[in-house]
Order: sequence, then structure tokens, then C-alpha cells
Amino acid sequence: MKRTAALLSLLFLVTAAGCAGDAEPAADTVSLLVAGTPDELAAYRSLAAEYQKASPGATVNLIEASSAKDLMTRVSTSVAGNAAPDLFLINYRNYGQFAVKGALAPLTARLAASGSLHERDFYPQAMGAFRWGGEQMCLPQNISSLAVYYNRSLFQKYEVAEPVAGWHWNDLVATAQALTRDAGGRTVKAGDPETAGVPAAVHGLGVAPELIRLAPLIWSNGGDIVDDPAKPTRLTLDTPEARQVIQDFLDLTKVGVVPSDVEVEAQDYEARFAAGKLAMFVSSRRVTTAFRAITGFEWDVAPLPQYRSPANILHSDAYCMTKASSRQDAAWRFLEYALSDPGAALMARTGRTVPSRISVATSPAFLSPGTPPARSQIFLDTIPALRPVPTISTWPEIEDATGKVLENAFFHGDPLDKVIADLDAATRPVFARGTAAR
Amino acid sequence: MTAGLRLRGVSLSRGAVTALRGIDLAVPRGELLVVLGPSGAGKSSLLRAIAGLDPVTAGTVAIGGRDVTAQRPGQRNVSMVFQNHSLLPHLTVADNIAFGDRIRGAGHRAAAARAAQAAATVGCQDLLARRPHQLSGGERQRVALARALVREPDVFLLDEPLANLDAELRLRMRTEIRAVHDRLGTTTVYVTHDQSEAMALGDRIAVLRDGRFEQVGTPDEVWRQPRTRHVAAFVGAPGMNLLPGDGPLTLPGGPATGVELGVRPEHVTLGGTPPDPLGEVERVEVLGEDALVHLTVGGHPLLARVPAAARPAPGDRVGIGVAAEHLHVFDTATGERVPQPTAAGRAG
Amino acid sequence: MDRDRRQLLLMLLPYLVGLVALVLLPAVATMAMAFTESDLIATSRFVGLANFVELTRDPAVRAAVGNSLSYLAVSVPLRLVLAVGLALLLHRRARAAGTARVAVLLPGAVPELAYGLMWLWLLNPIQGPVNQLLLLGGEGGRTMFGTLPPQWLTDPEDARAGIVLMSLFTIGETFVIVLTARLALPPEAYELAELEGARAGQVLRRVTLPLLAPVLAVLVLRDTLMSLQASFVPTLVVTGGGPPPYATTYLSLVLYQDAFEYLRYGYAAAVAALMLGLTAVAVLIQWRLLRRWASSGAVGVEVRRPGN
Repeated sequence: MKRTAALLSLLFLVTAAGCAGDAEPAADTVSLLVAGTPDELAAYRSLAAEYQKASPGATVNLIEASSAKDLMTRVSTSVAGNAAPDLFLINYRNYGQFAVKGALAPLTARLAASGSLHERDFYPQAMGAFRWGGEQMCLPQNISSLAVYYNRSLFQKYEVAEPVAGWHWNDLVATAQALTRDAGGRTVKAGDPETAGVPAAVHGLGVAPELIRLAPLIWSNGGDIVDDPAKPTRLTLDTPEARQVIQDFLDLTKVGVVPSDVEVEAQDYEARFAAGKLAMFVSSRRVTTAFRAITGFEWDVAPLPQYRSPANILHSDAYCMTKASSRQDAAWRFLEYALSDPGAALMARTGRTVPSRISVATSPAFLSPGTPPARSQIFLDTIPALRPVPTISTWPEIEDATGKVLENAFFHGDPLDKVIADLDAATRPVFARGTAAR
Repeated sequence: MTAGLRLRGVSLSRGAVTALRGIDLAVPRGELLVVLGPSGAGKSSLLRAIAGLDPVTAGTVAIGGRDVTAQRPGQRNVSMVFQNHSLLPHLTVADNIAFGDRIRGAGHRAAAARAAQAAATVGCQDLLARRPHQLSGGERQRVALARALVREPDVFLLDEPLANLDAELRLRMRTEIRAVHDRLGTTTVYVTHDQSEAMALGDRIAVLRDGRFEQVGTPDEVWRQPRTRHVAAFVGAPGMNLLPGDGPLTLPGGPATGVELGVRPEHVTLGGTPPDPLGEVERVEVLGEDALVHLTVGGHPLLARVPAAARPAPGDRVGIGVAAEHLHVFDTATGERVPQPTAAGRAG
Repeated sequence: MDRDRRQLLLMLLPYLVGLVALVLLPAVATMAMAFTESDLIATSRFVGLANFVELTRDPAVRAAVGNSLSYLAVSVPLRLVLAVGLALLLHRRARAAGTARVAVLLPGAVPELAYGLMWLWLLNPIQGPVNQLLLLGGEGGRTMFGTLPPQWLTDPEDARAGIVLMSLFTIGETFVIVLTARLALPPEAYELAELEGARAGQVLRRVTLPLLAPVLAVLVLRDTLMSLQASFVPTLVVTGGGPPPYATTYLSLVLYQDAFEYLRYGYAAAVAALMLGLTAVAVLIQWRLLRRWASSGAVGVEVRRPGN
């Protein structure tokens, strides 16, 4: 999935490089750079179409990138080339470097003056993630978080209790063990001589070994991932709270409830879940659209398990306006539509995002009675417990660097102390290079 | 020790093209046989059949009395010099000459010594350290000779080795080739399209046309008694005049039909008186001592070679005389020579 | 003479303009950028040799240099041997030779990305045809040789082998050049060897390879120049530079990630400079070796055909 995206991004780089440099369009033409999978892009296209229908004379020039990284490249190159789009949609984990370089137009004043958009319309957790230097730099489009997608039919078949709010990490592991089965439906336990060497046909759990998966668990256990979220200089994974979580996480492989690296390379988590070979899968809201195409079994979402207190990690994208834009008024008019009830509802119906607009998040457009997942409400329930990742300009590099260490550790069972030391060593220079962005 | 060569009924076709049609040939040990013919006659094919580079489609090839028809080229102990590319460009002269010995497993030193000796035989001992691209065309072919001779082949094959050299060098080289042959006595088949080279070099000449031998004989025989009109026309510089038997020239017995009369330009005398036919001089080429006179006689072109001092001028009308013993008669239908009783008298 | 030169210049001009404007100037700009910190958004800052100092400490760069050099050392000779072997097999007119030639050419005609995607499927450790094939005749998940099938995407060594494997099928261009060169060799050279009774191996060693040597030398240099870039798309598409941390991370991938994923254009330019330097060194070494062989007569670099 990730690779396909990278690939498409390359294709786009080649074919669509000229998009941003169109000759002087009309004043109420707005260019919007977005990234995403084909279904997301389709949603943006219909949003643009609806806006044009609702505001006669307005045109939205949609520039489509295929991945977040591709989008970042395009924003930076287009800003450098004086051909920046008026608006672009970006994850808060990546927007910091544009804010710190002064490439963005603050939106505080426009929001205050707007007749249709108000700060109180949005979840403050999402708004906060895009506040920089006292200014609202971007307006959040969504507020997602991690959840446990589960194959309800498998739970029922093996008579395993469905996850409930407030469940503990250990409950998750026990549930995963109960659902890890061989082709004959018998449970497979690692270390059990009777089932040694028997391949699991269904694995209990799929979770990518990434820092942003570990972070909410560490927070839940009372720890933190960095020394100072506002001005991080290093990872703090050597605290007892973090160590316990990382140990538990790495033990998943030993317990044998997760697919091996070879199995994941052969078929990724998302495809495994859709094929009914994964009982539970930790992911954000973004997989919902794809999973709605599943017909072979029933599925639903459950809250992320916790240690001591509820905690979850913020996933949020926002519309940002470039400082170089010469059509900021027109861009704002588009934003007012895109974040209004009809505009936000349109995006919510794709299933892919949790709307940042409270009125739409709590409406059927998002909660979608009759369409899975039935328990969409859990994405809203977790919002008070959401925390953002530290904002630092080099955060994408830190995610990559930690991902490499964690992937090795997860699949090859490196000792905890080595893992923590490796993570620290791999990220120190990156932290040192980074600029705190808020 | 070199041995003779014997071909019996050798035919060779490549695809739809038949290059050789039932060749019979015996080359006695130590002879230098020149195969002469126009391009496309099958000369190279003949060499390739002897060497085994192209498998014969019929017939046998024997070298020194041993049937080699089924043997691969490397087993026949023949060596060959080509018109071009007879040397490997990446090797020095010494390594080129030693190439065969090295292939057959000779030590570096022994091969080098033999190469030096062979080089001396053809007078290129000073070139041993050079690369082919540093040699002149003549030097290259000289080295190629050495490379071919070092093996002491049973049969030595040369495929127009001098064709790419300039005239002077060609003359010198052919003398040298003859001298080397006389010294080593290797049975040699030498292919050329140059009749003067053939005359000068060959113990015997085999005239090849269309995959068949038209005549095999000593240079003298081929020149004096050409067996076919083609041989007559091809051998000689220039070749024989050929006129219809009932044309301006006639046999002593009078006009004859169904035959062609041949007369060499050297044997045409000018300035005769009637009843000699009159010819009109079209053009005169002076070749030093001699002059070549282009005439028209009774509507037929005729060449005469006369002393330059006695040459007519263009436009002159001159009487044409040919001694009867110099008239060759060929059957028009078969092209074969018709034997004539040695008759005296003049044509007229 | 002067007019000839002017005409020559005139005809070369469009190319020279393109070369300067599209290649040389950007190259100079890139080299200059290597001494700055630049993300293309804010104004760039001169940092002196800081980027190059960081290069020496960057684990990704260290791994990539090793990987790139080992790729070069393995892939370039293998590709050449394969191309030469196939060209020598297929240079004769024979049944299906034409089809076989096309088959050799074809993978090179597939767009790189599509080629990468295809290998992603081919090398899939479980469903992939390559491993399915290897498992034929084996038992209990082992290959017919009794070994475990290669874990192309998860084992560092196997992944590197996979990248080399991918490179072995895009030899079409090299193949065509060798094929053409072989067809241009004088048949007399072979007949000469045949008359001397040379065996196939001797013909190859003493005739074909020396005669092809000038062409092969050029191909080795060209392949070396390209190899540092050639590994880019396969790693990006198939392995993503992994297995982690840097099993198949090559310099080209480091450059791409630093420039386009982390927006560190200055640092990426320094990586580019490093690539350029490595390539130059590799070419220089090969050039020297070739010169030495040429002067010792083993390789006919200065070959000119006996002309007429």
C-alpha cells in the first residue's frame, strides 16, 4: 500500500509537474493541493464540484498528489518556484516546517471575522494542533485517532467476547491469543510443543511496529515519548512506563499472535484483515473506506486498549493557506464552504475521516447508522484523550528512523535495552537538527 | 612433407545457390595451381571446400591420399590467406604468426621461435613486435603468409591475397610468393581473378566459370589452346577477339556457320592489302612499346595490338590480316574449341 | 578549414546550449547547494562543509556507500557476462533466435516503475512465482535443494540479491551493442581459428573477447556510471530501502529521501556530490586497469581494423 502510493506519487511528479504553473486564472479560481488514495481524491473532486455548483463563477483547480510525502515535496518545490497553490491539505505532523519558514498565511483574523465559521465549531484538540506562535495557521479538516478494527464474525465463531471500552493491553493480547488459529480452527500458541510449527491461518492481531502506534500506549501508562513535547531534544523511552509498553509490544511476536515479517511482506495488514486472516487490526479511521467493501464477514471498531488511563494519538489534516497566494479571499471562501456542514458532511460520507466539525461528527453523515463500522462513536469518545505528537520540523525523519529500528526489533526479537539505545542513537542527531515548531 | 590434393565430383551449394558443380581436380604434390575466374565463378567456394570451412554437398576431398571430406578444418592441416582480415588485430605480428601453434598447445617460447623463423622466410622478421594496424597492406599480407606457412601445411590456400594491393606491390609480392613456394615446395592453390597473375604464378591454371572448370592446363596451354571461348576471352590482356564464322574474317575453307573465330589482338596485323578486309580505326591506346587499336570490321569490334611505332591514326582505314595458324575456332552452340587441321595460308 | 569549424560549431550549438543550460548549470548549482542548508522554502544558509561532515556520520549514507559499491561490484560484471553470453548465443541466424533476441530486449522496454511493480509481485515471499518455482520438487516448505526459499523482501542478503536479480533482466541495451559488435567482427578471424583447430573456448578467449574488448570496455564504464542510479527505482518500489535499517538503501535512495521526503536539499546535494565522486573514482580505477591491460596487449583497446 505504502509502496503503491510512493509509486503513484512518482508518476504524478512526472505527469502533473506543470499543474501549478497555469496561466493567470480568474480571481475566484482557487488551487487546492491534496494527497490521498483514489477514493479520497474522488471525494475532493466532488467537494470541488459541489462548491462550484454552490458558488457560481468559482472554480477549484484541484492538484492531486498521491501521498503525504509527495505533497510535501510539491509544496516546497512550488513555494520555491513561486507557483504555490492557494491551499493545501496537510497532516499536522508535517505542517510545522512550513509554518516555521513563514510559508503559511495565518487564519486567526479571517476566522474571527467569518460569518459562517467559528472556532467553537471545531474540536479544540484539532484546532490546537495547528496553532503556531499564537496564530491559527491552518483549519483542521478531520480529527482521527487509532482504533482496533475487528472481524466480528471471527469473534462470534470462536465465542470470544468483543472488546469493550476501557479494556487493557493485556486483554487485547489475550483476545488475540484466543483468535490466533490454524487452518483447522484450533488455537495456535507460540512455545506450545503441541502446536509447534503449525502455521497460523488467522492471526489475532495486526499492528505496525511504529512509534506513533507505541506513543498512545506509553501515554496511557503515564510516560512520554520525548523529553519536552513543545521543544523535544530526545526520546524518553527509557522510563519504566515506556519500557513496559515497548516490552509488551515486542512480546507480541513471541506470543505468536502477529504475522511474521515474511507474511506481512507477502500480504500487508490491511489486505490480511480484508481477507479474513487477521482478527484485529490497529489503525486510524483511514482504512474504513476500503473495509466498507468487505462482504465476507462483519466487522466493527473498538477503542484502543489502555494501560492506566485512556490515551490516544491525534491524526489530523488541515487546510493551510500559502502566504504567497494572490487569491487568499477566494481561498477563504472555498474554506468556508469546505468546512461548512454540507462541505464537511460530503467528506465525512466517504467514511475515511472523522470530521473536525463537531456538528458533522455527531451527525449521521459520520456515524452512518446501518453502514459499518457500527461503533463509529468510539472515535468521538476518545477525542478528550487525544494528544498530538511533538511538533518538530524533522518529525517525519524521526518516524522513519524509529520505524526502521522498531521493525527490526519487532520481527527479530532484539533485547529491549538495545532497542531503546538504538532508537535514541538513531534520533538524537535528527532532534538536534530540528526546529521546535510551535 | 607436403602432399598432393585430389577432388572428385565436388559440389557445393549454399541454400538455393550452387557454387560448385562436380569439380574434379588433381594437384600433384608441390604444385602451385592457380584457380582463375571472374567473380562469382566459385573460386572462394572451392578453397572453402578444400579447407572444410563449407561442407561439400557431394564428392570427396583427399589430401595426400587421405580422404578428409568428413574432417573438420582444423584436422586437415591446411592453411589459408585471405584477401582481408588475415591477421588478428589485437595480436602482435609475432603472436599472430604463433597463433596456431599456441592454439595447438605449443609453449610460448617454442611458438615464438618458430614464428621468428617463419617471419624470416617471408622477410618480415623486423615487424615481429608490431600490431597489424601499424603495418602497410603489403606487410600485412607478408605476415599472413608467414602465419599460414609456420604450420607447414599439407595444402596452402590463398584467396586473392594480393587483390587489395597496388599494382607495383602486387607484382613484387607475386614474385616473392613464387619464390617462397619454390623454396618450400608446398602444394598450393592460389585463387585470383587476375589472369596476368595467374600466368605469372601458376605451374598450372584452372579456369573456373560458373562452378565448373573450363580448362586446366599450363599457362602456355591455356593461352595457346583455350578450350572454350570463355577461356579465350578471359585469358590474355586484353582477351581474344571473337567474331562470327561468317563475318569479315573467314577460315581458309571459306565462311562457316555455327562457329566463332577467335584471334588474339597480338596476332592481328594491320596494313594488309585486299583481299584482306578493311577496318576502320576508332581509337588508339598507346601502352608504351605497344599500342592497342580499336577497330570496326564489317560492323564488329576488333582489337589489335601493334608496335606503337607502326600504329594507325583514328579514322584510318586499314587492311586486317590474321595468319591462319592464329585462328581459333569455337562451336557457337557449346562454346567448345573445334580442333583445326594445321592449315597454312591466309585468312581472307 | 575555418568555415568547417564554424559550421561544426553551428551544428553543435543547440546541443551545447542544452548541455550547459540543462545539465552543467544545474550540476554546478547542485554542487553549490551541497554547501548550504536548503529546504527551498526559506532562503538557504551557507553551512560550509557541515553537510559533508554529517555525511561521514550518517548511518544511512554509510550503509548506502557499502551497498552501492557492492551492487556495482556484483551487478556490473554479472550484467556484462550475461549480455555477452546471450549476444554470443544469439548472434547466429537460427530458429527462434529473433524471438529470443526480442525476449532479451523486452524487459528493458518496460517502464521502470511497472518493472518494479512486477518484481514486487514476482518476489513476494509466499505467493510470488519465483519462490513458488523454487519450492517445486521440494518438501515441507523447502526448495528442491533442501534450503529454505529466499526471503527476498525480509532478509538483508536476499533482498540485495533480489535487487541485483532485477538488474540482470534489463541488459537489453548492452545486449544489442554486444550483438552488433559481434556481427561486425570479420568472419575470417573465426575461419582462421577454425583452420588452426581452435576449440570453442579458445575461440572465445583468443578471438571473440579480445576483438570485442574495446566495446566491452566502453560498456563496463557506461554500466558503472549508471549503476549508482540504476538501483533507485527497484529499491523505492520493491524494497523501500529495507529490510530495515538499510539493507537495500543505496545512495540514490538516500538522495531521494533527503531531498523529497525530508526536504533537505542541501544535504541531498552533498549526497549527490558523494555519488559523483564515487562514480568518478570507480571509472578512474577501471580506466587505469584497462590502460594497463591495453598496453600489455591483453585487450585491444586501440584496435583498428586492417584497412584498405
